[in-house]
Amino acid sequence: MTALWRAFRLIWSSSPWAMWRGAGAAVLVLAMGAGLLGLSGWFITATGLAGIAGIGIAFDVFRPSAGVRMLALGRAGARYAERLLTHDATLRALSKLRVALLKRLELWPIERLRHLRGAAALTRITADVDALDGLALRVALPILAGGITHLGAFAMLWWLTSLPVAAVIALGYGIGGWLVILRVGFAGFGPSARAEGHTQNLRRDVIGLFRGQRAVILQGRLPARITALTEEETALREAEAALDRIDRRAGLWMNLIVTFVAGAAMLVAGWQFQTGVFDAALAAIGIFVALALGETLMPLRRGMAELGRMHGAAQRIFGEEEQAPAQETRIAPRPVGGLEISDLQLMRPDGSRVLVEGLDLAVVPGEMVALRGASGIGKSTLLDAVARTGSHWRGQITLAGTELANWPEQEMRRVMTMVPQRAALVGGTVRENLALADPDLTDEAAWAALEAVHLAEVVRPRGGLEMVLSEGGGGLSGGEARRLVLARAILRKPAILLLDEPTEGLDDALAVNVLNGLRRALPTSAILAASHRQAELDAADRLVDLEKYIPDITY
Amino acid sequence: MVTGGGQRIGPHPTGPDDGTEMARRKDTQDRPSKPRLELEPSEARKTRLAGRLWVLAGFLWPVQAGAVAWAISGWAEPESVFAGQTALCVLIFIVAGALRALLDHRAARLVYVAADSAVHRMRAGFLNREGRRLRDDVSSAEMAALLTQKLPLLAPYITRFRPAMARVRVLPLLFLVIIAPMSWIAAIVLLVAGPLIPIFMALIGMAAKEASEKQMAEIGDMNRLLIDRITALPDLRLLNAEARSRADFEAAAENLRGRTMAVLRIAFLSSTVLELFSAIGVALVAVYVGFSLLGEITIGAWGTPLSLYEGVFILLMAPEFFQPLRDMAAAWHDKVAGEAVLAEIEAMEAAAPEPVLGQAALVAASGGASATVFMSGVTARRGGRLIRLPDIDTGPGQGIVLRGPSGAGKSTTLDVIAGLVRAETGEVRVAGVPLDEDSADGWRAQMALVPQSVHMPDVTLRQFLDPHGRGGDIDGALERAHARQIVNALPDGLDTRLGESGAGVSGGEARRLMLARAFLRGADVILADEPTADLDARTAGLIIDALKGAVAAGTCVIVASHDPRLIEALDAVIDVDPQPAAGEGAV
Repeated sequence: MTALWRAFRLIWSSSPWAMWRGAGAAVLVLAMGAGLLGLSGWFITATGLAGIAGIGIAFDVFRPSAGVRMLALGRAGARYAERLLTHDATLRALSKLRVALLKRLELWPIERLRHLRGAAALTRITADVDALDGLALRVALPILAGGITHLGAFAMLWWLTSLPVAAVIALGYGIGGWLVILRVGFAGFGPSARAEGHTQNLRRDVIGLFRGQRAVILQGRLPARITALTEEETALREAEAALDRIDRRAGLWMNLIVTFVAGAAMLVAGWQFQTGVFDAALAAIGIFVALALGETLMPLRRGMAELGRMHGAAQRIFGEEEQAPAQETRIAPRPVGGLEISDLQLMRPDGSRVLVEGLDLAVVPGEMVALRGASGIGKSTLLDAVARTGSHWRGQITLAGTELANWPEQEMRRVMTMVPQRAALVGGTVRENLALADPDLTDEAAWAALEAVHLAEVVRPRGGLEMVLSEGGGGLSGGEARRLVLARAILRKPAILLLDEPTEGLDDALAVNVLNGLRRALPTSAILAASHRQAELDAADRLVDLEKYIPDITY
Repeated sequence: MVTGGGQRIGPHPTGPDDGTEMARRKDTQDRPSKPRLELEPSEARKTRLAGRLWVLAGFLWPVQAGAVAWAISGWAEPESVFAGQTALCVLIFIVAGALRALLDHRAARLVYVAADSAVHRMRAGFLNREGRRLRDDVSSAEMAALLTQKLPLLAPYITRFRPAMARVRVLPLLFLVIIAPMSWIAAIVLLVAGPLIPIFMALIGMAAKEASEKQMAEIGDMNRLLIDRITALPDLRLLNAEARSRADFEAAAENLRGRTMAVLRIAFLSSTVLELFSAIGVALVAVYVGFSLLGEITIGAWGTPLSLYEGVFILLMAPEFFQPLRDMAAAWHDKVAGEAVLAEIEAMEAAAPEPVLGQAALVAASGGASATVFMSGVTARRGGRLIRLPDIDTGPGQGIVLRGPSGAGKSTTLDVIAGLVRAETGEVRVAGVPLDEDSADGWRAQMALVPQSVHMPDVTLRQFLDPHGRGGDIDGALERAHARQIVNALPDGLDTRLGESGAGVSGGEARRLMLARAFLRGADVILADEPTADLDARTAGLIIDALKGAVAAGTCVIVASHDPRLIEALDAVIDVDPQPAAGEGAV
């Protein structure tokens, strides 16, 4: 429940002033609704009485009718204001929450981000945040407004009519109505959370099916996967049916309670009228107000039925502890100079084995060094160590004269760029992809970078910089995507550039041309490349064979 | 003067007219056609019956209103009252009210069952159709959104809009018929005010539709942007671009909020207008009733002056006259959203590619017949373009390389052989029989395809290698693919879970694992798309040896590659030249 409370506080505190005004308007709506029916019931009955008594001329029609007009118009106005205020405040809060969640993700270590499942994170930021929209709108505000209205109605009825009439109505709604609402909240909690869970599973499984669709078809697993999805859907439907049953039963009870309370009010009012406590017109007020108060509880039904779903969403959102941003020493960086590595030891990411030890290596500005060695020897681990995206190393690494650990993240990324083996592009135009590297991108710089990686002639006939790529850079072949990633790295103008198998997916001739273009575009960069292709090794000034640094224990 | 405020009195079947309801309509794009929801006979029967029950429940309100009016008028004229009249009125009121609540409950159950069955039916149909269609125009996230968010929008269409329509056709007219004999003026006022509501709703509805279309588009854009940026987050960090990317998202989220509020403002305005209109209608009736009762108006009531009983009765009836109209207006958004979903499905159907051959089911390998592949004069469609594919005639113990520039159709050729893409013309024979609906599943069971791009599902390595859980010599298969080292280095060995894009193993390692899987299956035919693309010289050499070994062991190997080492190692090369089929495809 603490997660739910946190979510509520966040939504409310985002614009508390708007929320409080919205809550005030919500009370007005309900109170005016009850007042309206009560007053018109009294008015009609009173005019009837006056007509029967033959004193119609003397009857003051002005004040009651003005009151009714005010209540009718005021109620419509208050409802409009209430909805606008509370919805706007809620949406603002949720929009902020989404951005905050994305920001929280950004603070994760890159190693962890690489294992992040996009679909799950998306669900958190979209579906889970959406699930919270009803917390203030359909739960907190109706409870607050309904409770206040009930208290107010009780006091007014006692003052206008009599304690027994007020008590019958207050007890009927105060006990019966709220019991039903509570019961919906409790009974619906489980099914509603289950329904949401199954929906998310279904969503995840459908994404999984269509992402790996070719493999599923090739392995003849389509019917089996569809059966599994159908089972998940059956579970979802069962939870939804349970929820519907609870909701429908609550609806039945609410309708019965309204009927019984109005009936009881009628009986009590009739009895009090006959014992001469008040006249027929005042007696009518009780009945009409009893009918009108039904409106205060009906909207709560749906909100309460969603409580479990909201709770699950709030737990997923607030359950994880926030990642504190790493403390970094502020130093004045000298963004010149190359890369120096001394006495480096690399371990497998699981720490099970030492891959490389005693490695000394320096890359000076303008030089390209290629790391050679079989797949799995630790080339990528070395690049991860230097790029500070992996922590499985010991020794000393110095960037441009400053020790790696002392670099503030932002400064370090400005000086050093890494192109990982599987670099990602984003949906959008070629220009947008390049602009990620350089927010002040000019057309000249963009084209120069594309020329350097021999991509300009590919892109130009397909819309140039405005060529649109789909999700994840779709629309480019593997080799083209690789070159666009390299062009993006060029635009960073890094002092130190780390490349992990930079020309994968390119044929030999193109690989040589691309690497030459890259080096021409970055004449003063210190480049360290992990490589296994001859073309890449040929392009380098110097080779470092990691096999020489494998510890004596067998590999 | 006196108005009922257009307020609901007494219990009523439909839910509250809630603005967020509309904001929830996700990602539905309207198209000009007006698709209809086809219900199964049993679903249609339940929906119709529910509509009737709700109409019947509506009939009971006049009874309740009559009971209240009778009791109150009794108090005003005590001399004409018999003992226990109030108690009798209360009894009638409660019995009718309880009956009404029960009818409502029963009807709600019927429509729920019908809606649940319809949504389930459409989901199942959708999965069965789309599962066999390899399409690149709809992303997996969109498929998931359609199935889990949009199809359920058809439920309120069935449970809310249709019953509202059923009520609106009967109840207002019925109430008029009841009121008219008491006071024709009141009836005329309602008759005039009533139809104004749908007219105004239609006007506002048009604006709402446009606004909500923009909002839907914005939701889609935001989700696409978001999943993309989350996936690219490690790279964005390396580029120092996370703040910039977040700013893009923030702008998208703000835009979405703006659009949503625009939709809500119209929705709120429309319901406010509705309330005002019904309030005016009720007010006019009440003005007339009040003044008639005071004796200041004497016309409109068929000669005899209006009695207090009739006055109270008409006052209670007037808001209920408007209620079905307001229910329909509130459910109008359900109709719009439901139709948008139907239209989207129709549009998807219209753009649907041919399904893959066969059922993609697990069957025994066709077996017996030797694994031969024969293609002659084949053309196939790729990305809307018809391309000419090479002629192939190969069989067990042969290894051929398809060589050609990117885009020539190497991968498409492999897809045709695997039955994933249908040949438009020409002949494809596999294992001695034509590759068609009946033979495709069996053929795929004796074949393995190692694709160019790696998708590692979220399963353990063991499940990945042996998806059908058949056991077999996993170690041997890893050995042949030279993938043993990879497994040894993983933290949990064969029980390591692999990431979404194969995190934990490098590109080269993933390729070797896929080859190991092919060996484990004991496939008679191995199709491989650029199998050495990202392996170092040594490992590539081992893989080539492994493929040669497979050929020597009698496997038919077809590889798309431009790796000279691989071309040298295998028996034959077939050049694939880019040639559109229209250009008189040479043999």
